[in-house]
Amino acid sequence: MGVAGRDRSAGSGRVPGRALGMLVTSAAFAALVAYPLARLTGTLGDLGPEAITRALAGAGGRAVLTSIGLGVVVAVLVVVIGTTTALIGERASSRGRWLVRAGMVGPLFVPPFVAALGWAAAYGPRGLTDRWLGISLPGTYGLPGVITVLTVEAVPLAYLIVAAALAGRAEPDLERAARASGATSLDALRTVTLPLLRRPILGSGVLAFIMTLNAFGVPAVLGIPGGVSTITTRLYQDLAFSADPASFDRAVVLALILVAIAFVTVTASDRLLGGHSSPRTAVTSSGPATPGRRSTVAVAAVMVGVIATAAVPFVALILVALTRAVGLPPTPENWTLANFAEVLDPRILGALARSVGLALAAATIVTVLGGIVVAVGRRAGRVLGGVASIGFAVPGSTLALAVLIGYGGALRDTLLIILIVYLGKFWALGHRPIAGSVDRLPNDLLRAARASGARPRDVFRSIVLPLLRPAIIGAWLIVFLFGLHEVTMSSLLYGPGTDTLAVVTLNVQQLGDPTITAALAVALGLVVGVGAIPVLLVRRAIDRPPGRE
Amino acid sequence: MKVHSVMTRPANRVPGFRAATLVAAAVVLVAGCATAGPGATPSDPPASEPAPGVSPSPAPQTVAPPGGTIRLYSTVTQATVDAIVEGYQAVNPNVTIDLFRAPTGEVAARIAAELREGGVRADLFWLTDPLSIQQYDQDGLLAAYAPPEAASLDPADQGATFWATRHLNMVMVGAADLSPAVTDWGDLTDPALKDAVALPDPGFAGSAFGLLGAFAQDPAYGLEFYQRLKDNGAIIVKSPDEVTTGVAEGRFKAGITLDFSVRSAIAKGSPVRLIWPTSGAVTMYSPIAMLQASDNAAAAKSFIDFVLSGDGQAIIAASGWEPARADVAGGPPIDGSQVRPDWTAAFREQADLLAGYRAIFGE
Repeated sequence: MGVAGRDRSAGSGRVPGRALGMLVTSAAFAALVAYPLARLTGTLGDLGPEAITRALAGAGGRAVLTSIGLGVVVAVLVVVIGTTTALIGERASSRGRWLVRAGMVGPLFVPPFVAALGWAAAYGPRGLTDRWLGISLPGTYGLPGVITVLTVEAVPLAYLIVAAALAGRAEPDLERAARASGATSLDALRTVTLPLLRRPILGSGVLAFIMTLNAFGVPAVLGIPGGVSTITTRLYQDLAFSADPASFDRAVVLALILVAIAFVTVTASDRLLGGHSSPRTAVTSSGPATPGRRSTVAVAAVMVGVIATAAVPFVALILVALTRAVGLPPTPENWTLANFAEVLDPRILGALARSVGLALAAATIVTVLGGIVVAVGRRAGRVLGGVASIGFAVPGSTLALAVLIGYGGALRDTLLIILIVYLGKFWALGHRPIAGSVDRLPNDLLRAARASGARPRDVFRSIVLPLLRPAIIGAWLIVFLFGLHEVTMSSLLYGPGTDTLAVVTLNVQQLGDPTITAALAVALGLVVGVGAIPVLLVRRAIDRPPGRE
Repeated sequence: MKVHSVMTRPANRVPGFRAATLVAAAVVLVAGCATAGPGATPSDPPASEPAPGVSPSPAPQTVAPPGGTIRLYSTVTQATVDAIVEGYQAVNPNVTIDLFRAPTGEVAARIAAELREGGVRADLFWLTDPLSIQQYDQDGLLAAYAPPEAASLDPADQGATFWATRHLNMVMVGAADLSPAVTDWGDLTDPALKDAVALPDPGFAGSAFGLLGAFAQDPAYGLEFYQRLKDNGAIIVKSPDEVTTGVAEGRFKAGITLDFSVRSAIAKGSPVRLIWPTSGAVTMYSPIAMLQASDNAAAAKSFIDFVLSGDGQAIIAASGWEPARADVAGGPPIDGSQVRPDWTAAFREQADLLAGYRAIFGE
């Protein structure tokens, strides 16, 4: 049971390892999450309850309603599109399935606010389609644009959740049985497949709601210019652009409302989904239902969707970045590399170095923190997982303001304060893959090694570590990627000489220089894209279960 | 002396703070990794001793040269600040400059946050508009000084604690093919331009705030002018540059912006044109000031001296701005008359300015 920790403590009486692990973890949680949140709550206490009423009057209240409304709309769209895509993909031929999977996983690595900039460059006023076809999507800068891009960003996750459930649970055998018994394909979908998918569908809806609630990059790029403020962008404007003390008070209130909505949603959905699990059916080895011509058409439709929502915007962004001046058509005679030359400015290279350095430091420390689970054993590890998840569940804007209040006096304008929020936020990302891998460690192998006389240290080195390696590398890379393009928290915490590449891009965008912004966004997208290649390779290594394929 | 108490106050004020910081440090140490990535900057500028006996004399070779670090908060265009910093450091190689450059609204928010946390950490402010600086002066943040070059400035362009460094001209920008003739501010309320005029946000850009002060004070316009713009569907964007690019992109037909912004866009080839209002551009000065709380006054003073010097003013002119000193040549062409509001009077009325504006354009 207690994997390495239990074995080690039993074998050589090294309980301190476990105690130290728990101590370090508790101290980390106290310092990274609990203390800042306590200070944030304390600040509200100082302001008094009337601060809440004041903050919610006017713009603050509108922002809260906007965020909740956006979350609901995006969640519904994401569930419908994600589930449909998963049904299409998992019921297609193996090539079709591969295409859909690749098309869904790729966009996951596009930083949200780069996607927003690309969307505006492709479909916004004077965007690519407007210029060449005379078509632009109304409301790109405004609610419709924010909804669309947030949906596009969240669909792949819903797809992954539902597709995984489809692959494991709602076997085509049941559908076939229904069809053989005379049900139409629609009836089979309605009465067999969808009910079996209830939990993953609702789960992906909750996830999309939380993602939308916490989203900052997309509403900052497409919402602020259209006069649409969400909780996160209102908080950013109040904190970063207003000297009025009332704005700070409102930011505190909004940060706490944001975290409250997130926790209520997560708790409620846990209650709702955790209670009764849907019946598990045995996994059969039969392939998918024979795909028909309709399936091919559906796969083609999905691919068109992926190209329109992910590929075209990035190409449009590159074209804007290549254009000499704003307002000129992006044709070869107007092309220049001057905008990319700006990216090579020492200041921007410095920001890039800080982005990479922060991501490296966060990934390494988070992996070590996540690795503590190995030392403390599975049961205690589960508690640690819960603790780490709290930091991840706290919206970035809230955590950043809390850390600013908690440590701003001493650490304002340092990279350390940004690193602290990264650690608090990304801890769970490092913990989960490693804990999951520890859970899957084959006990027989460990026992066999011990029975053959291997010392605990040898067992750890020769069996545990090699088996955990993909998870450790995967955890490190995921945190590294998130750190590279993080903008929600760093935009609230940066100071002289501590801006990151994402913050620089946001600032240039806010100043209103589309060509340089596009060049920076393309650079950011490429940096993250290069970082994503090893992630995809490692993912494949983790995902491939032994004995299949 | 004062600085030190200000800087250490937050740590003493918050009970348990030190312990929490130690825990955080311990966590990072236990994790066995560098605490910060490359390019980490110290949290506080090193408290260097001001060079003793430095007088505001323009002959720095006769006294100990300034050294240490000064922290500069600026809203001035990046390229201009960079050029000035480079020129200054060529003369004062021992001074390190910690720069925070952001739009006016963001710098104001930072200053407010630092005041909340115990004190402003900057040594110098170099801002865009003449109104904000008077507020900081009134709040007692700024230090009095007599720069040797102040005599070369227009008396209306300075106070006891701040001095003009350059002039900004607020003008109009129009699409290259703008059809109804726009010649003066009032034309922006022409129904032919309904929903097609962009204005910069006074809460974001200092130049827009200055413009608001200028219009509010002018009986021919007043806040009423903003109401008429609003009634004609004028759209608020953030910065003057965003107005210019929005017009270039065709999102708007015309707007109010800085002549600098339009000239830069035209130089790159954007399809826009500069419209100098017939009643005159609104011209404001961009002030520089040093803080009472500066712990490196010698270096701060030397920086101000450099910006106001002939060399500094020439750098400003070369970077595309109108120098504050009339005796320095260069800078952009002035295509018409310039209206220079009484900024002292405008400041006296500024309390209601943003509120009045927000009542019209909302938040």
